[in-house]
Amino acid sequence: MSASLRRRVADLAAYLLLLVGAVVTVAPFLLSLMTALKSPQQFASQTPLSPPAPVTLSNFTELFGGRYDFVSPVVVTAQVVAVVLVGQLAFSVLAAYAFARLRFPGREVLFWVYLATLMVPAVVTIIPLYAMFTAAGLRNTFWALVLPQVFGSPYAIFLLREYFRGIPEDLVSAARLDGCNTLQVLWHVVVPVSRPILATLTIITVVSHWNNFLWPLVITSGPKWQTLTLATANLQSQYNGNWTLVMAATTVAIVPLLLLFLVFQRHVVRSITITGFK
Amino acid sequence: MVADTAQSSAARSSTASSDAAARRRRRETGTAYALLAPSLFGITTFLVLPILVVVWLSLNRWDLISPVKFAGLDNFRQVLSDGQFARSLLITAVFVVLVIPLQTGLGLFAATLLTRGLPGSSVLRVLYVLPWICAPLVLGVVWRWILSPTDGALNALIGRRIEWLADPALALPSVAAVTIWTQVGYVTLFFVAGLTSIPTHLLEAARIDGANAWQTFWRIKLPLLRPTTFFVLVTGVISSFQVFDSIYALTPQGGPQGVTDVVAGRIYYQAFQSRQIGQAAVMALLLFVLLVVITVVQQRWFSRRTTYDLST
Amino acid sequence: MRSRLAAVAATTLLALGAAACSPSSSGGGDAAQQSSGGKTTVTVRIWDDQVAKAYEQSFAAFTKANPDITVKLNLVPFADYFTKLPLDVSSGTVDDIFWTNTTPFGALADSGALIDVGSALGDEKSGWVPAAVEQYTRNGKLWGVPALTDGRIAVFYNKDLVTKAGVDPAKLRWDPSEGASDTLLPAAKKLTKDSAGRTGDQSGFDGSKVTQYGYNAGNDLQAIYWNFVGSNGGQMQAPDGSFVFADTKGQQAFQYITDLINKHHVAPSAADTNDNGDFSRDKFLQGKMALFQSGTYNLKNVADGAKFGWAVAPLPEGPAGRVSVVNSVIAAGNAKTPRKDATLKVLKWLGSTEGASFVGSSGAALPAVTDAQQAYYDFWKKQGVDTSAFGEAGGTKTIQPPFGPKFGDGANAYAPTFKEIFAGRTPVGPGLQKAQDDANEAIK
Repeated sequence: MSASLRRRVADLAAYLLLLVGAVVTVAPFLLSLMTALKSPQQFASQTPLSPPAPVTLSNFTELFGGRYDFVSPVVVTAQVVAVVLVGQLAFSVLAAYAFARLRFPGREVLFWVYLATLMVPAVVTIIPLYAMFTAAGLRNTFWALVLPQVFGSPYAIFLLREYFRGIPEDLVSAARLDGCNTLQVLWHVVVPVSRPILATLTIITVVSHWNNFLWPLVITSGPKWQTLTLATANLQSQYNGNWTLVMAATTVAIVPLLLLFLVFQRHVVRSITITGFK
Repeated sequence: MVADTAQSSAARSSTASSDAAARRRRRETGTAYALLAPSLFGITTFLVLPILVVVWLSLNRWDLISPVKFAGLDNFRQVLSDGQFARSLLITAVFVVLVIPLQTGLGLFAATLLTRGLPGSSVLRVLYVLPWICAPLVLGVVWRWILSPTDGALNALIGRRIEWLADPALALPSVAAVTIWTQVGYVTLFFVAGLTSIPTHLLEAARIDGANAWQTFWRIKLPLLRPTTFFVLVTGVISSFQVFDSIYALTPQGGPQGVTDVVAGRIYYQAFQSRQIGQAAVMALLLFVLLVVITVVQQRWFSRRTTYDLST
Repeated sequence: MRSRLAAVAATTLLALGAAACSPSSSGGGDAAQQSSGGKTTVTVRIWDDQVAKAYEQSFAAFTKANPDITVKLNLVPFADYFTKLPLDVSSGTVDDIFWTNTTPFGALADSGALIDVGSALGDEKSGWVPAAVEQYTRNGKLWGVPALTDGRIAVFYNKDLVTKAGVDPAKLRWDPSEGASDTLLPAAKKLTKDSAGRTGDQSGFDGSKVTQYGYNAGNDLQAIYWNFVGSNGGQMQAPDGSFVFADTKGQQAFQYITDLINKHHVAPSAADTNDNGDFSRDKFLQGKMALFQSGTYNLKNVADGAKFGWAVAPLPEGPAGRVSVVNSVIAAGNAKTPRKDATLKVLKWLGSTEGASFVGSSGAALPAVTDAQQAYYDFWKKQGVDTSAFGEAGGTKTIQPPFGPKFGDGANAYAPTFKEIFAGRTPVGPGLQKAQDDANEAIK
């Protein structure tokens, strides 16, 4: 009896702590949304904690209409993400298949090189890449935004290789006996059975490129190829104290990912723990 | 690469079929390299070549406008002697020390609460990951408002004027706190996965032996969580050493008195604001070496300490 | 083998093809994009939100007269403007025409990045404000079309607050000794209030809970410290361009400004203003600041945003009189533009009375084209705003504006120490000395 009471008290305490954690986690999102829905006049005259009264979408209309033109950053970001996603998945699948299922001289060495590049941090390559793209006349182009990423990622190749090695040989050889060539085997056999890991990689790629900042910061200039993160940073620096507008921008930058996350949350949570992606 | 298929052993039986096998091998090699071609190009051009370029840049003086001038080891001498880079390394190390233990501890604690089997745990677990899915830069902008001294939400809440990001004593802890807020949910996920994968018969056995919850945690769960803990620590340390986006948004230009001038930011400002490309390249190289060393050391430690045999 | 390779190549191309299609679909023109269907697009980079609106109208008129040329504006935040400009010039991604102030001007001119406007548009020169022409003439050549001139720095004031406190903003004087002749500090104190409603000169005034600021002393080159040093009879730069602000005159001026912030709490703290150049303007517009010292560049913002009675008074008088910095901005041409003819046409338009009149007649800023200036004064007269304090009625003495090929590097070098001085964490004397040494080292 007393043990179960103790258990119940402990559960209650655990709940309380977890709720505090939840409030601390969610409050900044709600506060920024609240501010985004306020008129600048209300923001200037009342405490920042007051709820929007009346609720107004004027910050958003200002953001998307008129000169801030937040439509373009959304479109550019979506394009970059889409192209990088397609390229990275396709080319990583090809490479991973070669590493997992084919025998060829240089395989171990090459794979080791691929793995070693995982240790190269983005801050280290940013300066040489800047110099290279500038020399090639590619600064501030769409190519500059996608090229470094589109040919596949060593990380994706690594994960896919592990997965492909687990595919039963029978499946592949059966397809071969049916006269499939390598690409057909990939498309008809390997890809379909690899859906889970491909879905995981899709999420990883979308999230990390949607959120990418440093590379767009140095390699683009001006509104044309401005990504969403960059546009948010610029808006903040141009309209410093104009927090209602700035919070509208952060809301726009955050909401699509949150929706994606909430829809696929089960899968995302699993993906994170499988892959530890960052 | 030992030939192990039925075909290849059969191939040995005659020279004719050994020719065929050789041809097949050649074809397989050709296919493999064709499949590898795009990624090989990408990795060579955008990951390997830049390392060579950064080495070359480190030996030159360049302000992006005037022509490149060979400088020998001048950049190295400058970077190592003027103390700014050493200071940035120290700041980054302090940042790592502020962030990693706290976020790991909080994550572990949250995970133990979440694995008590309470209803709603999975919803909370998802909630905690929210910040982590968002762009660090954008969250940095949000927190810059929350922490701003006059119009910010936090000061309004506590009713006191505290200059979270402008006070040199508070700026780095504040930035670290935001980072922890962003990452705790992510760390929690791993610990939840680790805790749920502990075989129940072990916990059951401990309970029968009369161990209380506290003892079970320290004697059974924590040791078994070691692989998870190490994974979380390794990735955490590596990524904290490269922190840039959130600090760029929260405390631009290295913050008050440069107290948040972390290494990645220093490299960025040195290259793209002061336009001292050579010196920035030296810093990038040194950071790279440092990260490789950290990775290797942690890997060693990791492989030495993490094998458990649960079969007995 | 061959067919397999081809298949791989095909997938590669497919993916690349997807990439190639997408950028064009978003359309729009930038420096890299040009002449589609015989039309040339010239791009213009500026930082001012208000002038951008006027330029849009001006360029619409230009395109009407020159149907084969369209002009596109690229608004870059001032905070990043001079970080990005050198990067963009060096990588060839700068716009065809871009504004610049004196910060990077010398270096840009010396590196051959700018079109020699003096020779290309020599006939127009006489129509431009002489001070601006002089400021941007280097090695005997003029490197841009004068776009704006800021007029003198003056003080915007909130009529209500000033009247209630019994302050006459036209008669403000300051003195480093803060003695009897100093009226700025007492006025600012009367105009400052804490959350309990106590003014800055009352006992019990809580400087950490200010809800209404008297004045906007702060880390602001153009609006504040350049003028204070000048009005104290000092100089920021010697004739050779080296920095000399750590002398006695400079020290007195900076001491006075930082005391207003950190000792008397009549101006917002540096924590608010160091990284947010618009903080004070926003507070003034919210009715939470009484005296806001600024220039013509904020006139339109104040007129649009202030929901109370306001007016403009001359710069406060110092021991050496009312000494203001008068700065100009040029529109420079990119020497490497592939559209040089079209670019020169647009530059000529910007320097013409007609082209510049849009800026003047919308009240956005004072154009540096002499004949277009009247439109500016007319606009504000019609609005019932007396702008004379920005002109000679606000004084005649000036201090040399920032100059020199490496001024930007020098300013970058002194900036961190200045932030500390304004935050009150570094004493003025040694701080200025360090800032000066750092800056001079950087321009060597």
